Amino acid sequence: MIILALDALDLKMVKKFNCKNLMQKEYGQTDISDFTQPRTVVLWASFLTGKNMEKQIPIKTQWNFQLSPEQTFLKYFEKYKTIDVPAFSFKQQNHATERKLLKGYFEDKATIEEYDEIIWRNHEENKKEFFEAIGKFNLVMGYFNLADAIGHLSFGITEKMAEVYNELDSIAKEIKNLDNILIISDHGMKAVGRYGDHSENGFYSSNHNLGLHIPKITSFYELIRKVAENEHA
Amino acid sequence: MNTYLQELEKKSIAIIREAKAQFKNPAVLWSTGKDSTATVWLCKKAFFGKIPFPVIHIDTSYKFPEIYEFRDRIAKEWNLNLIIAKNEKALKEGMSPEKGRLKCCTALKTEALKNLIKERKFDALILAIRRDEHGIRAKERYYSPRDENFRWNYKDQPAELWDLYVKPSEDFSHMRVHPILHWTELDVWEYVKQEGLPVNPLYFAKNGKRYRSLGCKPCTVPIPSNAKTIDEIIEEIKTSKIPERAGRAQDKEKAYMMQKLRSLGYM
Repeated sequence: MIILALDALDLKMVKKFNCKNLMQKEYGQTDISDFTQPRTVVLWASFLTGKNMEKQIPIKTQWNFQLSPEQTFLKYFEKYKTIDVPAFSFKQQNHATERKLLKGYFEDKATIEEYDEIIWRNHEENKKEFFEAIGKFNLVMGYFNLADAIGHLSFGITEKMAEVYNELDSIAKEIKNLDNILIISDHGMKAVGRYGDHSENGFYSSNHNLGLHIPKITSFYELIRKVAENEHA
Repeated sequence: MNTYLQELEKKSIAIIREAKAQFKNPAVLWSTGKDSTATVWLCKKAFFGKIPFPVIHIDTSYKFPEIYEFRDRIAKEWNLNLIIAKNEKALKEGMSPEKGRLKCCTALKTEALKNLIKERKFDALILAIRRDEHGIRAKERYYSPRDENFRWNYKDQPAELWDLYVKPSEDFSHMRVHPILHWTELDVWEYVKQEGLPVNPLYFAKNGKRYRSLGCKPCTVPIPSNAKTIDEIIEEIKTSKIPERAGRAQDKEKAYMMQKLRSLGYM
């Protein structure tokens, strides 16, 4: 199974940029209205555990929050590989640098160009690891924060967002012929002038007919568990 | 007189006179920046030298000393009925830009003005905004109704055809009136030059930097510039590709986004 975890991927943007590979056999929005705030770490932890983890993850220490495999659906897979997944294998150093530059931008100490450069560099690193892992594990879950990180400062800049969505669509294209694909985002994004703010609808897409209708982000846990069981059978 | 500027001025004066005729208790906001000083001047011209309504200055207490000096001097010279609005309660409670720029702006600017409107029952405020300043301002009309929370529904505004400015009969707390909405930054400077209007010295370059837009001292940064006269500023604007409000750190979208990202734990 392949899980493409795309932070802040938004259905409207997927359609706007006609990302055919992100729109698989079944796709749509997820419902995260159970959460008081669309927080990245909380949503990914909830996806991994099938439980709303909001109360367990305080804002101040959220980036360091770490689940054990036993708390997640990963335990059902014999061999798995996760790349940069928040609350599990999050690359602390890379993201701390990103957040430092983000803060620097708001304090007029860093430019958007410097920030974007780091985001793209980290993205390329994850992409390389992701493709190298495919075929070697029962489950590969790769996390990419390109749409979120670039979107926060440039959501209103169509050219930039087109580049981001085309890139993410090209990753989906590379894996589209593999079995059991789930593309999932934690939340969507909405424009605040040139900037982007988290919106309350995530995105999901699968190369199977799952028969879901605006599922909750926690609903996927059971589906993934069943995939793992079928692999054992 | 430049006929183009004459046309701009004529339209602005007509809007100001219309507002005075249609509203019982209007007032004009004056930050002491070039746009609002030009607007106060237009109000003077509209009523032959004596403005028949108050001039409001919102004092956050974090403004540049040059702003206070300029305000007091011009208010005296122009014989303005000046009202200084200040949110004393928030200041006593320690509100400052360090508490967050958006929070500070809301408390010391928006709340100060809200309180004053409530207290003095103003039904129209004349403001010096221009369409070319910012994307969202391009959607503004000359008459822009606001509710008691200053909310503005840009999707539901009356058309202003044939220069007819009509106030809605209900559903608004006060009207924003924008007499220089159709002006550009360059128009304002050319008008300042033509009319010989006083200019805050912060606009002129010192040590290779000048302020292009005036706000509170902690939240405004100068732009690189060598323009030391109005003529040099006009030449600079003609060739500049930098947005006018680039130096305003309290740009609302940026401040809003910073607050949001903070609340999401990014910073």
